[in-house]
Amino acid sequence: MASMQSEAFRIAQFGTRLGTRLEGERARVQLETLLRALPEEAQVRISLEGLEVLSTSFADELVGKALQHVIDGEFGDRTMVLETPSMELAEGIDVKLAQRRLALLCRQNGRWQLIGFRSPALDETLQRIIEKRQTTARELAAELDLQMSACVNRVARLAGLCLIRRRKIGMKGPQDIYELHSIVNG
Amino acid sequence: MRQGLSRLTVETIDGILEHVLENEAAEIDLRSVRFVDPYALLLLSLLVLEGIERDITPQIDWPDTPAVRRWMTSMGFFSDIGDSPRGISTARGGQRALQPICAIADEEAVGHVVDGFHRRLAEQYPLPAASRRTLTAMMIELFQNIPHHSNATGQIADPHGIAAMQDYEDSIFLAIADKGIGIRGSLGLRSGYERITDAQALDAIFRDGLSRFADAGRGGELQRIIGIVRSWDGMFALRSGAALLYFDEHGGDIYDVPRFPGVQLAIRIPLRLFDSGMVDPQDRFQFNGEHAE
Repeated sequence: MASMQSEAFRIAQFGTRLGTRLEGERARVQLETLLRALPEEAQVRISLEGLEVLSTSFADELVGKALQHVIDGEFGDRTMVLETPSMELAEGIDVKLAQRRLALLCRQNGRWQLIGFRSPALDETLQRIIEKRQTTARELAAELDLQMSACVNRVARLAGLCLIRRRKIGMKGPQDIYELHSIVNG
Repeated sequence: MRQGLSRLTVETIDGILEHVLENEAAEIDLRSVRFVDPYALLLLSLLVLEGIERDITPQIDWPDTPAVRRWMTSMGFFSDIGDSPRGISTARGGQRALQPICAIADEEAVGHVVDGFHRRLAEQYPLPAASRRTLTAMMIELFQNIPHHSNATGQIADPHGIAAMQDYEDSIFLAIADKGIGIRGSLGLRSGYERITDAQALDAIFRDGLSRFADAGRGGELQRIIGIVRSWDGMFALRSGAALLYFDEHGGDIYDVPRFPGVQLAIRIPLRLFDSGMVDPQDRFQFNGEHAE
């Protein structure tokens, strides 16, 4: 997959202590305007750099709702990820995404991890896709020692949460064959 | 009413409410009172306003102890109720207010109010940054409940949302109060919850993290804050209508109390917690351990 366009969205542009749902809603208007302005398959990196306090309400109004709109397909194939100087700052987002049963890739100190609604199985599968950058469910099933159906289910869930991209590359019998792509560089 | 009451606090204020509202009595004798906490102070302020609305304007004998009256004055109590009692010395002494009574009128104001509380806390206590952040985030969530919920039906002329904070030798005490529609009134707007009682409404917030909004991302904030305060061995009181959720380090429950409009909340946090960096964030968000598969 060709390298994608990526734009940073610094939450600290709205203040260092955030805040109320009203503040979150105003910030989301700008975030979603940015998402719409980017080309297909582009990515927005939400940055928590420079923030002191991020409340759960603000986190939900900005990140939770915007991510739900991404997953609902309102922004085509565009994706969102999070960058934070500390996991403590991302707690409010973690809590609210879990409550909404959504998940987001979050980078801290150069390492990607899943926040929000997660499980060891999804973590394991996602980390392997990130490491490989590009793979197939068959390869993953073999490497993770999984039954094909279990692997396909995990992959479908990751794709449904916009944590990876799937491209149909053919069919085998009644089943579609997908190529799987990481949305971040490992 | 001469009760010989020496402490007007979260534990004793309901006796005053009962006396005034249920007995429709106008006299309140506070002359023996030697200590008032911010929760009782806010409720007393709302009681005066509520009494006026019900044509039972309370006649209050203020505390004899000058230090108590000075503290009430420095907290802005008399300004809040539009009164100025006689005989309050301007001499220094007694406890100063950490954060006087502050109005929370709308969501736009919440950020400024929280900034003020944050600044006063930071000036007075060299709390670790993580502790101040946690407290500030709690205040944001609690303060914005007033514009979000206190007049959700649009039927209240003025919910009179107010907050105050005081420090003590061993604790910080935060109080927030309004006389809006209350938790039952707010949750009752949600389908299926129209006929719940005040106690059931508190229980739904405490156990289920319920909100009046059906949106999956709403609710849970009070439940999380309660969990944090419990983990700190603090005191938490949430009063709405005729029910009070109260607990301290010894335990707690939901209790029947005299009916009063709105929501009143108190949090007392032991100061010793701030020396040790409070709690591990991982302990605070237990429910995030749910598995997606």
